[in-house]
Amino acid sequence: MLTLIKREIYDHIAYFIGALVFSLMTLAILVFAAYSIDSQEANAICIIVAIPIITVFVFGAAGMGVSQMYFDRNKKISAFLSTLPVTRNKILIARISAGILAISIFFLPLIITTWILHPLLALPVPILDNVFYDIYIVGLLMVVACYCIGLQTGWTTSRILPSLGGFLLTCILVTIIIVKGLSIQISLLLIIFIIASIIRVRQKFMSTSF
Amino acid sequence: MDDYVIRIENLVKFFDGRCVLDGINLNVPRGCIYGLLGRNGIGKTTIIRILLGLDFPTRGQTFLLGNNSQNLASKVRGRIGCVSEGHNLIQSYKVSRLIKLCKDLSLHWNDEFFGRLIETFRLPLDRKVMELSMGMRAQLNLALAMAIEPELLILDDPTLGLDTVARRQFLELAIELIQEQERTILFSSHILSDVERVADRIGILAAGKLVVDCTQEELKNRVKKLRVIFPEAAPANLYITEIINQQISGREMVLTVANWNAEKKAILETFKPSSCDEIPMTLEDIFIECTKPNQEMKQAGMQET
Repeated sequence: MLTLIKREIYDHIAYFIGALVFSLMTLAILVFAAYSIDSQEANAICIIVAIPIITVFVFGAAGMGVSQMYFDRNKKISAFLSTLPVTRNKILIARISAGILAISIFFLPLIITTWILHPLLALPVPILDNVFYDIYIVGLLMVVACYCIGLQTGWTTSRILPSLGGFLLTCILVTIIIVKGLSIQISLLLIIFIIASIIRVRQKFMSTSF
Repeated sequence: MDDYVIRIENLVKFFDGRCVLDGINLNVPRGCIYGLLGRNGIGKTTIIRILLGLDFPTRGQTFLLGNNSQNLASKVRGRIGCVSEGHNLIQSYKVSRLIKLCKDLSLHWNDEFFGRLIETFRLPLDRKVMELSMGMRAQLNLALAMAIEPELLILDDPTLGLDTVARRQFLELAIELIQEQERTILFSSHILSDVERVADRIGILAAGKLVVDCTQEELKNRVKKLRVIFPEAAPANLYITEIINQQISGREMVLTVANWNAEKKAILETFKPSSCDEIPMTLEDIFIECTKPNQEMKQAGMQET
């Protein structure tokens, strides 16, 4: 299994480097906000810079899912791996694990840093005390959901369908979050969406001729 | 332990409503080199793909090493080596990286044997797979399949793209492998002389059915091609069963018959032919006769019971 995960990382190293770069950029913003004297100005900068970073990361995650599946299908990677002592299940688990790892590279340092800097990041309104964690939870679920969309749309030999389908679904998901905001309901909705997507991806992957 | 390394039971496969495989039954015993023959697009690769679990049967079941090929566990897959048609290796990888991947994923790896193969084939480790010639890719694929010392080696047109020398090397290696105890090879090829050289059992696919399944020796003994000259015009019907092919030209008749025996000879003699000579047949001749369209071969007569 570890060999398969390593193979996935090596083949999609650009996405891992991208996740690391975005994570470092977001960390820099977070540290700047924590140590800024003018908290209002800092919060404004945070929002202006953080939104495009997260948006790019969301589409990047969908892109990674598409890339993993599309190149597998077209370069017949799983067809070759299946002639080795590897089952289809293992190939898919390794693939999803690599994707989750890339997403974690972005979110884990952020969560840890926020936890360390929590006293400095405290907002004046107590009810918003945990707003950072809410953002992270919904953000993480949204990124995973978009990654799953990528996995689903990438498992095809067509070039147009993965690009358009993935892009459209990701836009719909992002819009729902913007409209509905950060809430438990939206988190539950995203969890259900992720589970359903993974089941569908597995079903498609297991029942296709390589 | 299962006596048969490969078992195919009533295998049916449809592609877009077209029946490609129509009730194939096949058993390959342990230690056998089985040559699977058939014309292009007849379903040889489909059988192999279904056996490896890369494709799904419409009906029927296939078993490898006693396990259903649709649910092969990693441990079972680790005992099977495979060289696929077109050599679908990961093209963007360097040779050395592909070797490392295969080695890491394999349950057993004979470094010494693999090193010997790489040296024999003179494969460049620092080049990408896509930069290799078709022949080199075939050699790499073969070396990777053989390094795991498989109990069962499945070769789907493995010599495609190889030059004469490399083909000979490959065949020698296959023989070397089979000489080690209890190894089995399923070998599909278009090059009949290769199959003739190594296979001890032959299967011929025609029109979705396995029309021949017996040992090579038996096949050559059972299929006879005769040139019969009659005193007058050759009769249109000889009333002999299992005629594979029949060509009439004036007094001369060229006849290919399955299961030639004394009884059939007696029937022929009732027509009082002036002469009856046997034309020697190679495996290629038999293959061509067996796969001719619309021939009236009786399948049951050509399959060993």
